[in-house]
Amino acid sequence: MYVELHAHSAFSFLDGASTPLELAAGAAAQGYPAFALTDHDGVWGSMEFAHACKGFGVRAITGAELTVELRPAGPVSDSGLSLPGGSSESSPPAGGTAHLTLLVESEAGYRNLCRLLTLAHAHTRDNTTRSQTQPGATLEQVEEHAKGLVCLSGCARDGVAAGAFERGDTAGGERVARRLLEVFGRDRFRVELQRPYWRRDRARNRWLALLAERLAVPCVATGNIHSHDRSRAPLQDALVAIGRCETLEESEPYRRGNSTSALTSPAAMTARFVEYPEAVAETERLAERLRFDLTEQLGYRYPGSEDADADTELARVCNHHFGRRYAGSARLLEAQWRLEEELAIIRKLGLSGFFLLHRDLLELAREVAAEVRGPESARNVLPPGRGRGSSVSSIVCYLTGLSHVDPVEADLFAGRFLNEETTTLPDIDLDFPRDIREVLIPRVHERWGADRSALVAAFPTYRPKGAVRDLGKTLGLPPAEIDRVAKTVGFHERTAAEIERDLVASLGPERAKEPRWRVLLELADEIMGLPRHSSQHPGGMVISTRPLIDVCPVVPAAMKGRQTVQWDKDSCADAGFLKIDLLGLGMLSAVERCVEEIGRARGERLDLSRIPLDDEETFESIRAAETTGVFQIESRAQMQMLPRTQPRDLDDLIVQVALVRPGPIQGGAIHPYIERRKHLREDPGYKVPYPHPLLEPVLEETLGTIVFQEQVIESAMALAGFSSSEAEGLRRAMSRKRSEEAIQEHHRRFLAGAAANGVSEEVAERVWNQIKGFSGYGFPKAHSAAFGLLSYQSAWLRIHYGPEFLCSLLNEQPMGFYPPDSLVHEAQRRGIRVAPPDANRSRVLCHVETPREEGDVRGGLVVRIGLGYVKGVKKEEMEALVAERERGGPYEGIAELASRSGVGLPSLERLAWAGALDGIPVGSEEDRRQALWQVGVTGAGRVTGSSTQLALPMEPPAPPELEPLGDWGKLIADYRSTGMTVEKHPMKLLRPGLDPKLVRSSDLARLDHGATIEIAGMVTARQRPETANGITFMLLEDERGSVNLIVPPSVYERHRPLVRTAPLLRARGRLERREGVVNIVVSDLAPLERTAPPQQKKPNQEARKHAIAELRAVTPAGHAFGRRGR
Amino acid sequence: MPGLRRLYAPQRVAVRTDPRGTPATVEGQEVETVREEWLVEDRWWTSKPLRRHYFELALGDGRALTVFRTARGQRWYRQRA
Repeated sequence: MYVELHAHSAFSFLDGASTPLELAAGAAAQGYPAFALTDHDGVWGSMEFAHACKGFGVRAITGAELTVELRPAGPVSDSGLSLPGGSSESSPPAGGTAHLTLLVESEAGYRNLCRLLTLAHAHTRDNTTRSQTQPGATLEQVEEHAKGLVCLSGCARDGVAAGAFERGDTAGGERVARRLLEVFGRDRFRVELQRPYWRRDRARNRWLALLAERLAVPCVATGNIHSHDRSRAPLQDALVAIGRCETLEESEPYRRGNSTSALTSPAAMTARFVEYPEAVAETERLAERLRFDLTEQLGYRYPGSEDADADTELARVCNHHFGRRYAGSARLLEAQWRLEEELAIIRKLGLSGFFLLHRDLLELAREVAAEVRGPESARNVLPPGRGRGSSVSSIVCYLTGLSHVDPVEADLFAGRFLNEETTTLPDIDLDFPRDIREVLIPRVHERWGADRSALVAAFPTYRPKGAVRDLGKTLGLPPAEIDRVAKTVGFHERTAAEIERDLVASLGPERAKEPRWRVLLELADEIMGLPRHSSQHPGGMVISTRPLIDVCPVVPAAMKGRQTVQWDKDSCADAGFLKIDLLGLGMLSAVERCVEEIGRARGERLDLSRIPLDDEETFESIRAAETTGVFQIESRAQMQMLPRTQPRDLDDLIVQVALVRPGPIQGGAIHPYIERRKHLREDPGYKVPYPHPLLEPVLEETLGTIVFQEQVIESAMALAGFSSSEAEGLRRAMSRKRSEEAIQEHHRRFLAGAAANGVSEEVAERVWNQIKGFSGYGFPKAHSAAFGLLSYQSAWLRIHYGPEFLCSLLNEQPMGFYPPDSLVHEAQRRGIRVAPPDANRSRVLCHVETPREEGDVRGGLVVRIGLGYVKGVKKEEMEALVAERERGGPYEGIAELASRSGVGLPSLERLAWAGALDGIPVGSEEDRRQALWQVGVTGAGRVTGSSTQLALPMEPPAPPELEPLGDWGKLIADYRSTGMTVEKHPMKLLRPGLDPKLVRSSDLARLDHGATIEIAGMVTARQRPETANGITFMLLEDERGSVNLIVPPSVYERHRPLVRTAPLLRARGRLERREGVVNIVVSDLAPLERTAPPQQKKPNQEARKHAIAELRAVTPAGHAFGRRGR
Repeated sequence: MPGLRRLYAPQRVAVRTDPRGTPATVEGQEVETVREEWLVEDRWWTSKPLRRHYFELALGDGRALTVFRTARGQRWYRQRA
């Protein structure tokens, strides 16, 4: 029976059109007993394929189609191959390439395949931009790694033998084949026959069969499968075109030409090779030998797993810190009991080495942090990183420094993180400031060896927007149309029907009927979810005792000094790899920057671990939802809730952080929690209603509602008597990869268990529905405790060190919910002064400075925008400008600035537009046009012919009388050059020309509930959460503040492009006020139009005409969040 | 445009096939051997998709000939290769 030995999945990026799962299911449905996956130069999908095949009863064969370099640079032997002596580290591919099909026979073979693939990729990012180039191994490298592998001579077009025939070089093809025969021997080399229904199939196969005869090796038939079903052939064509950045027409010579490379039955394949029955029989004989099982024979161990002393060492480390942390604690005994219990479980699971490895990693992070921060830094009092996720609940993690939250004090439950029934390695996630993480990752490679550590891969998959863009291009659709449709397509659209709605909305029903747009819709439906390329996981690392390249190929990442394995986190978990998540957390970086800036600007060394946790002013601002820029509680949804929940202490904040998550929202926790808090505020004697008395101890802190993930586990244990592993099974069944059958089984057991505890069926069902609604999409309390503390710290800094906090947020962009422009406006409304970029005062980053004249400014400090904020300037030039100014004093003229700092003309022009050269020379009239004129006359850095004009320190003559830019002109220039304005708000300038009926955000406080109003402003954020039943939330900012718009689905459908993309809007709707929260429920939307021009000293006709359009073109788009909250 | 005609445009040809769909005679002349057989499926994204099953034949009278069958209408054409 025919067995397929050559197939590509979507992990032959932009070549295969089906997922490994689809191929596995297809192979099972067609009755294949075994099936090989041979993706191009990788095993990216092999683990997923092996597990999927196992589930379907198909035996997976592991392999790859390797690109080999036939003529590398340098001397070429008479065999036409590169000469031996090109060692494993030989030069990168430089000449012709061809393909070989390699199949794994044994563990040694798998090791060799991984090493070969690693070598093939070793030089793929050697260029200056580190963009990926074609992988390729030399034949010498293949020779060195041939053991345990079976080699087929490759595909019809590019195979080492068949490809040579296609090029008319039969002698060369035979020479390569003979060489491979020498390397692999008669047992493990086969001549590969394919029948792709191309014009020269018969001639080629005749020649290949004769070649096999001369070499005395068998032929073997293969299908070179590229999709699991014929219907995917058009998509496969489109993928090839995308990969080549060409249209379908242009890519014709490279496409497969017909649909016969789709998976078909063994019988059909046998019929296809009717002239070569022996080649078909050989597939089965080979498959019988290829028995390596990737799911069983990987042989991976993590460092420390075999260390006999690990148990003793871990206990010693914990006991050492225990005395210091718990001396004098009222809960000493409890802590001791917990430590002993955890250590016993860890010993039983053999995980002591795992914890020690993490401890070592943290020690390394401590060294890195000291280096990055420098000896004088105010940040040195801070720990190098913090734990997040469920590991924060472990006392061992606390004592080994992996977490900064005392789990005993915070009443954290460790069952989810660590229990005796655990079968997979627990997850320890660590958050680091971005700058420390950047240095730490390459340092981990150094510490454990570049061959024993690597980042986890990630595979960005097609989503609607990318699908429309890529497919539109290959179909040759007009770029402007593609752009319009792509901008309208939302994050949630998944089906062709949904994309079609967007298509009709943006191009109109007639244009949407164009055949190519129809084709695009069909293809988009299929392409969604397919991986586009490989990338790196944000921070997941794997570490191994033996070289990682023996268990998975390692490839260079786009960032210098980084490398990834070829598997994503799911495949790594399936492989049982120890994965450490080193995550970069923007707010952690911002908080560190803030501490540093406070030290620099005020000379204060702030220890964040010692700030009071009950600061009344901080909590007042939180309760009033004045939380712009504050970690986790700055979102629109949080701001709606804070005035209603009224958090009073850190415990409240920890619940608050976990509350606005899909789990509690869908589990129906929000409203009861808010109501009960309100009752308790009004009547401290109020009795919180619990679904059942058994649940009181479990749900006490969340007032009878399920907010934290472990409350699901604990509720099931308390109410239905589930064991901790049963309850954990329930949580997993409800998580992302949910299984209805498993949930039904848990439901049955839940009802039975509850009944045994005397709980009525009605109550049991009610609790079950809450648990099911929660579905695992929530924070564990431990994670929430870590995040809640950071929320508080950031809120505290915002109140007490406002300028420094704003400054650090601006320097850490992109992060958080609001664009820099909104952060600046909000801070200005609180009285924080923000100054524009200035070549004589700014640094490269934003910083806090003492104002020239003292005013009524909080902290007496001003946030000065950095020169680096000016778009398009060169960072090195700005660094040189600042360094020279610090060395030689302020610049007194523009020519002098250019001459001393060496800044070139393009950057100077951009600085002038941004207003950073206003006031040079000192005392001149501050106007950008004059500065720009001077920059032009100076001619510094202008390229003339082949040389660059030298900037001479000769000041140009005084500029002619130039019309000043005016407020409006400055505003446009600000947005264009820095994406923000620190001067007058655009709405303030526009206001005089606007309809006087429009209200302002500050008017809302005095308007009645239910009033119909119209309001206009800039859109600063838009959000369409999955949990909100199609409602879109928008934030509209005017010169006085922000207002929430609630856009119901009907209005959204009418004004889809406006809601999605318009930066300036006019909204009409009903004012709703509830417990101090004001919203506008929108009934109509319109783009903002003016009735008169903005005020200018000398009105300019053109500016008048285009004012709004100009602003629309340059204002920041506002942050759009589709799936936030998951 | 009247008066102009495409060079090498495919021409209708009478083909009789065997039960497997392979040409047995072309214009009454027996097919001696099928040298090559291939499929072209292209331009599926346009309003004029192309689907042709080609045969390169050697006829009994010694002529070499390339014919194809269209998917739509099952018509046979000869093409100058």
